[in-house]
Amino acid sequence: MIASLRDKHFRRRIRENAEAYAYLAPASLVLLVFWFLPVLLSFVVSFTNYRGGDPIPTKEIWAKVTGHALPEEAPDAMGMEVRKPRFVGLTNYRNALTDAEFRKVLYNTLNYSLYSVPLTLLVSLFVALLINSKIKCVALFRTVYFLPFVTTWVAISIVFRYFFHREFGLANDLLMSAGLPRFDWLEEPRGIFEMFFGQFGLHFHHPLLAGPSFSLFSIILTSIWRDLGYYMIIFLAGLQNIDRSYYEAAEIDGAGKTQQFFRITFPLLSPTTFFLLIISGINAFKVFIPMLIMTPNGGPDGTTNTIVFYLYQKGFTGTWRLGYASAVAYILFLIILILTLIQNRVFGKKVHYD
Amino acid sequence: MNAASVPTTTLALAGALPWPLTAVLAVIAASIVWGVWKSRRIGYWYPLGRVFIYIALSIGAFFMALPFYWMVASSLKSFEESVAYPPTWIPMERETYAQRDGQRVRVRTLGQPRDGIAEVGFYGKPPSGDNVFKIPADSLEQVSRIRLLWENYPQTWRRPNVVSWSPRENVAPSRPDSLWSAMAYPFSAIEYHSDNVFRRVAEIWRGQPPYLLSFTRYFWVSLITGLVVTIGTFFTAALAAYAFSNMNFVGKGLFFYIVLATMMVPGQVLLIPNYIILEKLGWIDSYNALIVPWLASVFTIFLMRQFFMTIPRDLWDAAQIDGSGRFGYLWRVVVPLSKPVIITAAIFNFLSNWNSLLWPLIVTTKPEMRTLMVGLQAFNTEAGSEFHLLMAASTIAILPVVVLFFFLQRFFIQGIARSGLKS
Repeated sequence: MIASLRDKHFRRRIRENAEAYAYLAPASLVLLVFWFLPVLLSFVVSFTNYRGGDPIPTKEIWAKVTGHALPEEAPDAMGMEVRKPRFVGLTNYRNALTDAEFRKVLYNTLNYSLYSVPLTLLVSLFVALLINSKIKCVALFRTVYFLPFVTTWVAISIVFRYFFHREFGLANDLLMSAGLPRFDWLEEPRGIFEMFFGQFGLHFHHPLLAGPSFSLFSIILTSIWRDLGYYMIIFLAGLQNIDRSYYEAAEIDGAGKTQQFFRITFPLLSPTTFFLLIISGINAFKVFIPMLIMTPNGGPDGTTNTIVFYLYQKGFTGTWRLGYASAVAYILFLIILILTLIQNRVFGKKVHYD
Repeated sequence: MNAASVPTTTLALAGALPWPLTAVLAVIAASIVWGVWKSRRIGYWYPLGRVFIYIALSIGAFFMALPFYWMVASSLKSFEESVAYPPTWIPMERETYAQRDGQRVRVRTLGQPRDGIAEVGFYGKPPSGDNVFKIPADSLEQVSRIRLLWENYPQTWRRPNVVSWSPRENVAPSRPDSLWSAMAYPFSAIEYHSDNVFRRVAEIWRGQPPYLLSFTRYFWVSLITGLVVTIGTFFTAALAAYAFSNMNFVGKGLFFYIVLATMMVPGQVLLIPNYIILEKLGWIDSYNALIVPWLASVFTIFLMRQFFMTIPRDLWDAAQIDGSGRFGYLWRVVVPLSKPVIITAAIFNFLSNWNSLLWPLIVTTKPEMRTLMVGLQAFNTEAGSEFHLLMAASTIAILPVVVLFFFLQRFFIQGIARSGLKS
């Protein structure tokens, strides 16, 4: 290592390094201030009782200051008073993990991911296979299936909130004209398995066994409708990457269609499937928008209260318990990390690369 | 859905179906059987017959398109029709006519007919006294006409048109007189604090003056933030990606893995601390809060880096011989060559910003700084049961991106396929 500044080559190396850092500077600055700093700050805040504000107890203050009492109709608390945050250690985490509402929130999120991910992937794989076969109007079908993905979640949630309305919605109208009974789409608190098996006398009470509530299932249907196009396009790209010669060789060897699918198509699609599994799994845990718009109060019996919605509710509404919400956010981070590791471990070895 | 309806479902599915559904299911079953039989003979490598494929895809396409149709059709209905039971598929106007004194007059039914006698009142007059009479229900004439209520759209657009005002500024709210003033050019603030046009622009950027609200304002905020974020991420990502792909520097590997690690952490962890930081900076309710945190996009950096690495070194050597520096080489050679990746990244960044709800919801409190998505969500909360207006608002929100999609279809689909394969 030439350490002397009088050396021309050393000076040039420093200049080149400085130039590279200058190129990285804009992006790094933004990432530093709005990514690294927040990650640390979030960790620190989760150990405090930082609150956006406490409601000011108007009646007490008025009584103390003036000696009179405010009339009964006056609100108990008005405005917000920001307190200095206090370090409380693991209290937030302990509160979160022992809170019954949070446990229900975890079950809801798990139910949502457990059913939306496989259903979406299966349906989009099926559609991709159909579109990939030699039919006419491929472009038309592809556009129609992809179009829902181009729309925004907010607008779609509003439309489906109307679509799934118990009285005025089209969903129940379709069912009625087919002779099937109406469903309480967004207001039904019972789990789908509980609903189906309950009529045979087999009742499930545990939230995981009873399945997602029918209102959560309506939201799952909405997300399947929307995400189908995206996964279909990726599957199509993966399918088109498979060499025709594999199929021709299999034909010669006398393999049937089903055999060809399970021995050729599916294994060669596994990198794509694996990638989509992770992406959709992570996204399913972060779902928020449909819950906010279709069931703004957390759903019937709190069954559509997912973890990000809970975070928003506790942290940015009501008393703005930002410290607690930070702890919840870190728990979410941990869950996603564990989930990704598990998926890597379980499915990683089954992925066939060319 | 009550306890009695679930057995009914099962029974219905077991065979006691109404004839249209049975017919459709029979056709599908028959085509499956025929398709499977046919594909045993043909040397195609997919297990189902072509007819079944067309039928299945068409049924799927119908369900894909149905919510769109429902949205647009409902947006053209009147309020009564949007909450009618059963819901109508085509926006219609129902008029009831009755014979009175040898004349055909328009009436309105009041309540359900009893014993075949209906109580009706003259249309447009209060239902009391002489204006109400009873006639046999059969003699009423119902006329249905297709009517598209286009007025819903201007009504929706103007709906958030109360001047939002800050209590500290003491500006009283007032309603704008005309549609034109309601669709006001976004710079028409009610009250500026400075005369200088540059200071006024700074005020607008800081989100200070109260505005005439309408969907124009929501669109404007979303557009400005989307454009600035897209352009900003292009510049920061091009520079950073160039450094990662073409330069060698101390700590390159470490830097790279740190940047890679940013993708592991979910955005929700950053929400709360970013809010705290923005509050301390005083950026809440300004364009800064909506734009600056998004000026670096790790996805864009990676995308560009992948592409820059495929550009042959000979080009750089040739440029160096011609006396070009690294900066000039980047902007004059590398970037023009990377147009497809740049467009893909631009679409991705613009759409991420356009579609985001949680972040703008948190960093804005004033109605005039709402983005389109936040405006929609607020509209949903305010006008919760006026479904015809809600559907009009949704159509308004979806339309721009759908139109954009039809022009840039190739880039959309290419971009997604590309990002999927590069896993």
